[in-house]
Amino acid sequence: MNELKKARAEYEAVPIPEELANIVQTSIQQGKKNYWQKRLKQGFAAAAACLALTFGVLNLSPTAAAIAADIPILSGLFQILTVRDFQKQEDGIDYQVSVPEVKAEGALAQQVNAAIQEQVDAHLARAVQDWQDYREAFFATGGTEEEWADREMNVVVDYEIKSQTDTSVSFVVSLAEGWVAAHEERYYYNLDLAQNQNITLQMLLGDDWVQICNDVIQREIAASVDEQGFSMFFAAEEGGFVSVDENTAFYISADGTPVVTFPKYAIAAGAAGMPEFPIVVD
Amino acid sequence: MAFVVTQLENYLIENQARFYRLAYSYLQNREEALDAVQTAVCRALEGRGSLRSAEMMRSWFNRILINICLDMLRQKKRVITVAPEDLTAGSYEDPLPADETLINRINALSLEEQTIIKLRFFEDLSLKEISEITNVNLNTVKTRLYSALKKLRISMEGEII
Repeated sequence: MNELKKARAEYEAVPIPEELANIVQTSIQQGKKNYWQKRLKQGFAAAAACLALTFGVLNLSPTAAAIAADIPILSGLFQILTVRDFQKQEDGIDYQVSVPEVKAEGALAQQVNAAIQEQVDAHLARAVQDWQDYREAFFATGGTEEEWADREMNVVVDYEIKSQTDTSVSFVVSLAEGWVAAHEERYYYNLDLAQNQNITLQMLLGDDWVQICNDVIQREIAASVDEQGFSMFFAAEEGGFVSVDENTAFYISADGTPVVTFPKYAIAAGAAGMPEFPIVVD
Repeated sequence: MAFVVTQLENYLIENQARFYRLAYSYLQNREEALDAVQTAVCRALEGRGSLRSAEMMRSWFNRILINICLDMLRQKKRVITVAPEDLTAGSYEDPLPADETLINRINALSLEEQTIIKLRFFEDLSLKEISEITNVNLNTVKTRLYSALKKLRISMEGEII
């Protein structure tokens, strides 16, 4: 047993590297991040499955509609077409890209198309850059070619038509990047193609639109606090929600209700995703 | 859940030196041991959903860490290639020279036996915890512990003679 004590002393005499504390700290942070990302991914997949189902039933999906009738969403005044549609794999990046375009007379459609084009191009360029940076960092920190081969990045550009009438359309373009870090941006377009103008919350809700939106959102945030006093939403003084303004994103749901949306992290913890608030006026 | 996360974080930070030593005892390499701790801590927080209760934390985490170390050892084994002409007759001989110190003899035991000895005598874990960590039933753990001790004592006696 004495020898066992000596062995233990020897075991315990192994010097502890200075950087251990740091490594443990960063690993804790990384692990937490991965935990949420995993959960978000699952949530995202579930949400995507739901969407696919709804669209399947309503046959609203641009792709499905295009396949079924060989023509995209049609209306008298305008069409939403998929102008770039490809899936490819290149340098470890898995692309799934469907870019919409508004086909209509007038300057508005052109402006919107130019804006979408710019967003998509920037997104694709950024994805390639991020991937390169990651690759460099990966090898610089001792990663091997073999390990690298297992890695891939997903780049997704897609759009979804939220609602449409004969003269107007509300749709969202989503740009996503998924690898070690997941990232998604959404751009919302609400177009009145008869009047050639963007639809605003003011047009939908009247001059009191700011107050109306703020009341609904604040009520929802207050309702989200659980028994333990915890809420995913940040307090106003912590950079949380204060007020909507002209730049606040929204879309118009199928029943005509404006739905105000916020980017991830803007007013709530990342785990809350992209919060949405239907503004129902009672 | 938030409570468990804080507890887990504190546990990991407070015991980091122990984790490093345990990893080092398997891998015998500073960088690899750091690597193992890093991966284990990250994986623990990532997979904390599988931690059922705070009481299980110690055996739960040690299991993650030990599995990572064993994986790394296996990988190393795969990578090391020895040309046939470099193989001397000695390679086949008993790797337990009698004049080695006890710690070296422990390290020369099978991985299962090593784990039991280290966790029991260096990390002061109970046999029940060891059984949870190694996913081996308690009786088998006991049998292996005795057989390992016997092997070590035989070597000890051999040293005296």
